[in-house]
Amino acid sequence: MDSLSYFALSWMSPELLALTALGTFLGIYVGAIPGLSVTMAVSILISFTFSWDVNHALCLMVGIFMGGVYGGSRTAILLNIPGAPSAIATALDGYPLAKQGLAGEAIGLSTVMSVIGGFVGILVLALAAPTISEFAITFQPRDYLMLAILGITLVGSLSTGSLAKGMFAGALGVLVGTVGLDPLTAEERFTFGVIELWDGINVIAAMIGLFGVSEALHQLHHLDKTIIKQKINRIIPPWADVRRYLPLSIQSSFIGVIIGALPGTGGDIAALMAYDQAKRSTKNPKVPFGKGAKEGLIAPEAANNAAVGGAYIPMLTLGIPGDAVTAVFIGALFIHGLNPGPLLLVEQPHMFWFTVGNLTLANIFVLIFGLTGIRIFSKIVECPKAVMIPLILLLSIVGAYAINNSVVDVWWMLAFGVLGYFMRLYNYPVGPVILGLILSKLMDENWRRAILSERGDMGSFFANLFTSPLSCVLLAAILFAFFSQTPIWQRWLKPKLLSR
Amino acid sequence: MSSLPHRYPGERLFSFCLIVFSIFIFWRAYLISGFSELSSPGAVPMGASAVMVLAACIAFAQSLKTPAVEGARFFYHCFPVVVGVMMAFIVLYAVLLEQLGFLVTSALFLFITLKALYGRSSLWTLGLTLGALLVIYVIFRLIFQIILPEGIIPEREILANLSRLFGGA
Repeated sequence: MDSLSYFALSWMSPELLALTALGTFLGIYVGAIPGLSVTMAVSILISFTFSWDVNHALCLMVGIFMGGVYGGSRTAILLNIPGAPSAIATALDGYPLAKQGLAGEAIGLSTVMSVIGGFVGILVLALAAPTISEFAITFQPRDYLMLAILGITLVGSLSTGSLAKGMFAGALGVLVGTVGLDPLTAEERFTFGVIELWDGINVIAAMIGLFGVSEALHQLHHLDKTIIKQKINRIIPPWADVRRYLPLSIQSSFIGVIIGALPGTGGDIAALMAYDQAKRSTKNPKVPFGKGAKEGLIAPEAANNAAVGGAYIPMLTLGIPGDAVTAVFIGALFIHGLNPGPLLLVEQPHMFWFTVGNLTLANIFVLIFGLTGIRIFSKIVECPKAVMIPLILLLSIVGAYAINNSVVDVWWMLAFGVLGYFMRLYNYPVGPVILGLILSKLMDENWRRAILSERGDMGSFFANLFTSPLSCVLLAAILFAFFSQTPIWQRWLKPKLLSR
Repeated sequence: MSSLPHRYPGERLFSFCLIVFSIFIFWRAYLISGFSELSSPGAVPMGASAVMVLAACIAFAQSLKTPAVEGARFFYHCFPVVVGVMMAFIVLYAVLLEQLGFLVTSALFLFITLKALYGRSSLWTLGLTLGALLVIYVIFRLIFQIILPEGIIPEREILANLSRLFGGA
């Protein structure tokens, strides 16, 4: 009964309801406008909302997350420019549909299927998280250490072609997270005698720099891109279409929620895998895939929204973010005094059920805002980048300053912004930096705990890795994630396995 | 741009700088507590910086093998003047923020950058600047109550006078 009342909390309070609606509305635009991302929006938003009550801040951020994942599909359909990576697969059939004069129908169908996907994801989260959380309580420090390494390895290796560049980015994040006084011994680490560095480098300033400033600077390369407008017809999809594609939508949602729950993956991979699966399983599509098949629109849209619920599972139960967006989100939860991990559901079950309820509410708002206001929407997304970029930069600067009312954080933001700009330019992923930064404390603490519990004996640390089944599985997963990106696997083993 | 498999001008230099930086950081990590204990405060920083050195060396070696993009120029394709200018404006903004205050610095920043990037008439740019600044100010200063530097404009006094005027005190 208590769970139900926490679930309904954001539904009953007018303030929370309004903030969730506002967040979802803004999220749709943030996700839709190419160059703006959910990661960027949430990282800038944290600096403005960290003094708020946790429920209020969460409502706004959950709305932005949910709306942002959906919003990417709008520009993918209308302009053939995916607003977010999770909408890349949507453009494959969504844009051909728009070119046939079916833009409105495509948007309507993608909205309904996104919402169905979102509900499946939330349902799995509500059912699976308590069980996983109970299991996670039995984790040893070495298991947490390996989970963190696995997350960084996967994100690092999957986000670019080069494992070395991904590993560099992850290790850099871990290192930046260790700057300041050591929490156990108060010894100085990389402070260079500067007292201001005793508290470490502010995570929010780093996030804003890496995702806000560097992205805005990168967008300066594409100022002259022109937009081709599409005609929009009716939005509400025919009931017969919804019923016809419901099984595919549910199948794709389950693919999405499973992929979303794996560290290192996210809505983009979930959408592409669901698209691929739909292509294989649809025997005779009315229109071929890639030419405007509705199946090719529905599968990725259901999957990427289901992946949101999936991504929340490791985030809330293990305290391990799966990708850059959830890393920023987990940072926000820490800043608001929440401690995501197995104890969250034991010590603060109300926060878990509040989040589930709030996600459900945001999903309903996706349906409402998704099926309305499309004409205003198409005007807003046409806002030129030359206007958008100075505004993003100004918001980033104000956001960084607002953290501690100090210009020092603006300098850090700028430093990370410049670093992020060159990293993006030369194909170094920036996501693992934030993931490493967030997981640094967890890794440092659990490494030291694990070694102390073995009385400093490295031999027994490794021996115990093989005595626990969980540790064995995690170690095998890390080794696989690592070796699957090495040249030996890429050139020799992978073609052999695929040819079989 | 990032999806292209070719090497852009400056990548080798960037990767080399990362090696130098990583070695320096590894040395600083060693200075924390050396090889004294596996659970020492320097253990994780040393491990992380060792991975950085190794990964940076591999990335540098990869960049030596990758073919360069034909006809790409550093100051055109990688670091165009507009990016450098925008970075310089952010630096200027941070320098002037506490002296001139949020309103003046932001207005100058928005006006100059909008004019430079969008190239519309001065009047149109001024209107957009003031409109955007008003929205940002109302949302962040008045609704979110974020304290921003006052600088040369006595904001608090103006706000107090306004509230007295409309409050009818």
